[in-house]
Amino acid sequence: MASTEAPTDGAIGRGSSAPAAAASRRRARPAWLSPDNAVSLQVSRLVFAAVVLGTWQYGADRWFDSFYFSTPLRIFAQVGQELIAPGFYHDLWVTTFEMLLGFAIGAGGGIVLGVLLARSAYVAKMLDPFLLALYSIPRVALAPMLIVWFGIGYSSKVFLAATLVFFVVFFNTLAGIRSVDKALCDIARVMQATEWQIFKKVMLPSASSWILTSIKVSLPFALVGVIFGEYLVSSEGLGFRLNNYSTNYNINGAMAIIFLMMVLMLALTTITNAIEARLLRWRPKSAAERFTQS
Amino acid sequence: MLQIEGIRKEFAGGAVPVVALEAVDLGIERGEFITLVGPSGCGKSSLLTLISGLAPPSGGRIRLDGREILGTDRQVGFITQQDNLFPWRTLIDNVALALELAGIGTAERQREATRWIKRVGLEGFERAYPHQLSGGMRQRANIIRTLIYAPAVILMDEPFGPLDAQTRQSLQALLLSIWETQRSTVLFVTHDLTEAIALADRVVLMSARPGRIVRVDRVDIPRPRDIFHLHDLPEFRRLYDALWNELAVQLDGFDRSTH
Repeated sequence: MASTEAPTDGAIGRGSSAPAAAASRRRARPAWLSPDNAVSLQVSRLVFAAVVLGTWQYGADRWFDSFYFSTPLRIFAQVGQELIAPGFYHDLWVTTFEMLLGFAIGAGGGIVLGVLLARSAYVAKMLDPFLLALYSIPRVALAPMLIVWFGIGYSSKVFLAATLVFFVVFFNTLAGIRSVDKALCDIARVMQATEWQIFKKVMLPSASSWILTSIKVSLPFALVGVIFGEYLVSSEGLGFRLNNYSTNYNINGAMAIIFLMMVLMLALTTITNAIEARLLRWRPKSAAERFTQS
Repeated sequence: MLQIEGIRKEFAGGAVPVVALEAVDLGIERGEFITLVGPSGCGKSSLLTLISGLAPPSGGRIRLDGREILGTDRQVGFITQQDNLFPWRTLIDNVALALELAGIGTAERQREATRWIKRVGLEGFERAYPHQLSGGMRQRANIIRTLIYAPAVILMDEPFGPLDAQTRQSLQALLLSIWETQRSTVLFVTHDLTEAIALADRVVLMSARPGRIVRVDRVDIPRPRDIFHLHDLPEFRRLYDALWNELAVQLDGFDRSTH
């Protein structure tokens, strides 16, 4: 009963310092090994990257054939080529546009349907097996059909991305709204909140961490859908470029495009992380987050 | 002002339906401070839930100024045991919630919330989120977010239950000092006899399940009271012993004879 509400007077400014202090009491660890030491972390990361890339570079044509695996230096040279190549920015734009549009449709649909079904326990239960069946279709298997239905233009890629994103966001929204603390709804109800106010001021904010998590998780799926679609049939986009290089056995080019896709995804993830941190600034950091975030 | 008439509450759903409350009658005057004590599971909290209008009684009725309570009512506030602050709202926005729901403008509700926050000594924490506050601070916020809209009746379900002894006493004193000036009608559930006597005009003792009212005692200790030195008064001791004897009977389950 009182376990979670145990008196914690002076809890202000607790946060990360208390656990860190506890850890140091348990086992004396050198300060540079602390996960909170930003400088030491960055140095270690640089060393790690240098060792991996250095081994790759050194091993090329000694331990394996660089024709198949390329080398870091050649890939970076090719990346430079891409960045000044005619048409690269057009392809980058096409892929980004398809991806964001597909993501917006999938996530928007997922949130709307999740919210609607959360309002009706009966309909949600009725539709449950069907939704599970749809979810069980490997969505990329739909790609050939989508191309038949929507043509080889951007819309087939957009829809493939949307189907990949939709279910993740939908299931999370549904679960998020369902898991709203009934006691909080009662508080608002006692204060004569309307049903709409309860939805807007209690349910939605309460489900926001679920929804934002699903958005973060599903964003890379949108890129997967778009690239796969472009890879199958298209005349533009990063997936098209990748297909061109790989079918011509231009491993340097293919690796360079994969590297640039990674950079694109990292940039988008950084943006969503910032948005999430801003929207969820009310939430105490969980132990897991403290462990993974630097 | 508040009339509780022949209230019965039954919880179906389990293998055997449980009768939580049986034939509960109580009349409460405007501005009265009533405390409800009784063994755990005797339906004290259920009674508050019924008065709040969040759930309907299985029998009997509850009237507020003659009008039957059929749903939640702006005139009835409910302060729960868990603070139930909205974790995504800052302290000031939590306190101002009721005014926000009523459509009162930002400037006015912030001014009002600030006033209450000062009154309970939380100034400086307006922009803090609930997880950054201690249990005692959160419970203070929980109390003032109901007081801010001044409902005529305030239901309090063991609001100091989860707190340590010192925090609890200082909050009791704070609550009394606010109530002395505001004089709303209060129904306060507790399992702590000391707290029940210290706060109340009348102490209502309930039986083990099914909860009935066993006795009602008037507390003749003049106000304003000094919470910290109440225990030495003969009136306090006498009432405490009388209530404790009765409660011990209820805890031992001697009430089986009444079935």
